Amino acid sequence: MSSHREAPEISKDPVADSTDVYAFVSPDQPGTVTLIANYIPLQGPAAGPNFYEFGDDVLYEIHVDNNGDGQADISYQFRFTTKVADPGTFLYNTGPITSLDSTSWNRRQTYSLTQVSNGRATTLGTNLACPPCNIGPLSTPNYPDLAAAAVHWLAGGVTAFAGQRAEAFYVDLGAIFDLGDLRPFENLHAQYGMNVFSGPGAGVNATNHLNVHSLAIQVPISTITKSGHPSIGVWTTASRQMASVWDSDTGTTTHSGPWHQVSRLGNPLVNEVLIPLGEKDRWNSLPPSDDKQFVSYVTKPGLAALLPALYPGVFPNLAALTASRADLQAILLTGIPAGIIPGFQNFTGDVLADMLRLNTSIPPTPADKQSIYGLLGSDVGGFPNGRRITDDVVAIELRAIAGVTYALVAKYTPDAAANKLTDGLTPASVAASQLSKFPYLGVPYSGFDNPS
Amino acid sequence: MPRQDAEHPVTPGQESPRTVSRRSLLQGAAGAGAAGLAVTTLGAAALGVSATPAHAAPAHAADSTGQAAGDPIVVHVRDARTGDIEVFSGTTKTRLRDRDLAARISRATRQGR
Repeated sequence: MSSHREAPEISKDPVADSTDVYAFVSPDQPGTVTLIANYIPLQGPAAGPNFYEFGDDVLYEIHVDNNGDGQADISYQFRFTTKVADPGTFLYNTGPITSLDSTSWNRRQTYSLTQVSNGRATTLGTNLACPPCNIGPLSTPNYPDLAAAAVHWLAGGVTAFAGQRAEAFYVDLGAIFDLGDLRPFENLHAQYGMNVFSGPGAGVNATNHLNVHSLAIQVPISTITKSGHPSIGVWTTASRQMASVWDSDTGTTTHSGPWHQVSRLGNPLVNEVLIPLGEKDRWNSLPPSDDKQFVSYVTKPGLAALLPALYPGVFPNLAALTASRADLQAILLTGIPAGIIPGFQNFTGDVLADMLRLNTSIPPTPADKQSIYGLLGSDVGGFPNGRRITDDVVAIELRAIAGVTYALVAKYTPDAAANKLTDGLTPASVAASQLSKFPYLGVPYSGFDNPS
Repeated sequence: MPRQDAEHPVTPGQESPRTVSRRSLLQGAAGAGAAGLAVTTLGAAALGVSATPAHAAPAHAADSTGQAAGDPIVVHVRDARTGDIEVFSGTTKTRLRDRDLAARISRATRQGR
């Protein structure tokens, strides 16, 4: 979650596995949008001797659709290159890494960033430094400043960062995938007659103290939107070349052929909990413009049928709700049209496409007025209007699937429990603090201190 | 690795028609000794094997040659009986239908065992 190891094939290829996408109007730079795509899930910080890194053989992209056709109008392409200064040592670093050009840093990555817009490619930067992973006080002293030096200001008002960050997504993976247990309500779970839980429990953040690798860009709103159309669709993809052959002479893999998409992520949890197991790998290989074929999994979500079965008597209205879920279709596949929520819309058109939709004309909500429940908390600056780092997308989507948002499009009374659903976690369940400026995601946990 | 810069932007899903050296494929196949999959670094001097793209795939970036000198060539014989062959090089895939070539590659892999 929200897309960590969400499909059988990509779960075996973590370097190319997208985990979360964020898109929001930058709170400290409101003329810009920040787009973040995270990869390489569930990184234990103590990862030596070979610390996590992006794949040199992976094409990473962040896409923007600004005309509602579910196809990329602008793509930001990240390509990485790894260099080993001294292959004669087993060490990642031979002394403290105090700067990005430190000679003590033995294995480093750089990247190129290319913007492809309507078939025209523009190099935004080459040989851009990534920071090292956060190892510990001896190897990476003053890590926050070291990583901050890897923020690059590029042509066209683009700011970029690529490197390790603290996982900001919070979710109780252990309970949710134990047959839909939500610990705060687990005494209401059917428990298959085993009576394991006698009372409510507290949520456990399974992703706490873990790291990810982030691709982050901040771009002027004017460069990614079309005049009069402030709503954009955002998603990320990772692609690999189609043919790989292990070269036993060199001990390396040869890659050839066209790029083939192996990972995709727009809205959180779509492939994770809506797309069935037999379709997940194929879904990952397709563009959002092909999502019409998957619409029934959104409008008739299996999870909506599961909730009344797993929690007997708790969701009687949801159990009786058999209509197609136009609310979920709008939230996830078209954007919410005008007239549904007063003063708000992020509709991008009739094309059914899973994209994280952001109405860029809506200013950031001040921190003290934000709700982690986003639109469900009457905060139009949060998910599903884009996604901020602290938004509780698990609770928002659970509540939406449980019927809360169906009342927006039809006469329906949601079950009392629907608007209380949560896995028991909040942003306070994340140990790392969010930064107040780009790239916003917190400093990664160090291997020295984690696990402690 | 193939070139992937602004002049040659990467294009997911892109396939382009290309001619491939029958001789280089066979030499590569014999050297690789793999059943159905061969790799060669001999390059792709065009010697007249007709090739067509398997299907047109959407590309959102500008066209590119997709191949640099010295790039390896990977051959996948999908079905030796029908001569269905895929050739991967640079960032391109070429689909061939050549029963004779497929048979010769198959023989070469058997000889390599």
